[in-house]
Amino acid sequence: MTNKETVICRCEDITMREIQETVERFQCSSREVKLRTRAGMGSCGGRTCRGMVDKLVEQLGGPPISNEIALSYRPPVRPVSFGVLGGEEK
Amino acid sequence: MIDLLIVGAGPAGLRAAIAAAENGLHVSIIDEFVKPGGRLLGQLHEEPDGSWVNGVEEAERMYHRAIQLGVEISTGVSVYDLAETPAGWSIYTTDGVRESRCLLLATGASETPIPIPGWTLPGVMSIGAAQVMGNVHRVKPGHKGVVIGVNVLSVAIAREMQLCGVTVDRIVLPAHNLISADASNPEKMMESLLRLSHLAPSSLMKIGGKFVSPKLAARFYPRNGFKIWGIPIQLRKTALEIIGEEQVRGVRIAAISATGSVIPGTEEIVDADFVCIAGGLTPMAELAAVAGCRFHYVPQLGGHVPLHNERMQTTLKGLYVAGNITGVESAKVAGAQGRVAGLSIADELGVLSAAGKEKIKEAVDQTVHTRKHALIQFNQGIEEARHALYTEFQQLTDKKISV
Repeated sequence: MTNKETVICRCEDITMREIQETVERFQCSSREVKLRTRAGMGSCGGRTCRGMVDKLVEQLGGPPISNEIALSYRPPVRPVSFGVLGGEEK
Repeated sequence: MIDLLIVGAGPAGLRAAIAAAENGLHVSIIDEFVKPGGRLLGQLHEEPDGSWVNGVEEAERMYHRAIQLGVEISTGVSVYDLAETPAGWSIYTTDGVRESRCLLLATGASETPIPIPGWTLPGVMSIGAAQVMGNVHRVKPGHKGVVIGVNVLSVAIAREMQLCGVTVDRIVLPAHNLISADASNPEKMMESLLRLSHLAPSSLMKIGGKFVSPKLAARFYPRNGFKIWGIPIQLRKTALEIIGEEQVRGVRIAAISATGSVIPGTEEIVDADFVCIAGGLTPMAELAAVAGCRFHYVPQLGGHVPLHNERMQTTLKGLYVAGNITGVESAKVAGAQGRVAGLSIADELGVLSAAGKEKIKEAVDQTVHTRKHALIQFNQGIEEARHALYTEFQQLTDKKISV
């Protein structure tokens, strides 16, 4: 196995190679990488790969990591059941 | 409606709860782990004077004090959303919605992974996960393991695993790739290791740490590493790949030059039934982001941190932060910040006397003092980075007032 086949987003099975190719082809931000590859859009909400995607994009010559959080956080930030979302009592 | 809801029952959350409840506030704490204590639960180490720090006992002491003061603590409950209301904050949890006048986020930090080939195999875990298995659940993560990544946390936890009766075969650097970057470079890692030299059991390393140049030290570093507590720390070896079909079987390693290039013909396979990856820590700020806090990217503090001041106020009314969410530092600093936050909140809610207000100043000074005397500095330049952050906060609030 080579470094490039290493999985970055475990939820969506996106490899380092796929992210690298996307950045090189589209010269894009980590947000665009997310929208094009689905990295960070799986069931964990990007909790595992968010930082890695940001760092990869920066290292590959994309926009540097800034004060803005590029890959935004949206609720629910933890997995919850529909019951909980609907206000079901324990 | 309660006065203060705290997310996170670690040292920052517990100390904040105690300070606030001592001033008569009605306080609740929520933590998603099954036990209160946060990362204190993993800590077991020897201080330079030979005494042992037992995080579990420390957490219990704080927990009992908080309970005595009437603080309600719910564990095994997660917060998945929050919203500002005219009266304070609504907090959406897996156990219903809570309303509170003030909110303190003391959510700590999360570990950052270093992806190397094979890192998704069963049996590979973060170094912190191994610590929780051993110290909290009393389960060995495996029989013989390799730790990938040399830093404060990995060396300390390798020692803890050894105390649990687990063989830690060696600690090596991660394979070089775009993400591991400096963490795969012996010279850079030597710099951070030398900052730990005062903790080394060998007085030779203790003295050496003060004078040795990282560059020279990395070049002359013995190939098989130095042993700390019998665990070889191999700065000149890299983990190229974690191997196994269904689960971890071993690690393919190779020798590397002082600047990190692989030396051909030195590859070998080390047997192991588990692997720990130590990539460092980053502030866990997701709830602050959802709330709409302003952020700053501060690498010295571990990544993006919510903009805040010395009194632990964020840019949003009634929302405070304390502990590792404000930057990665020791549990003692987190606790000191927690106390500041608890007192500041008591002040905002108008229950502090004139003498009480004096206490905030003392608590802020105490935080600075604790930081200066911390045994372990996670990153360099923390004080300067914090100062810059507080100045930025000040300028921002001054601007708001003048508008």
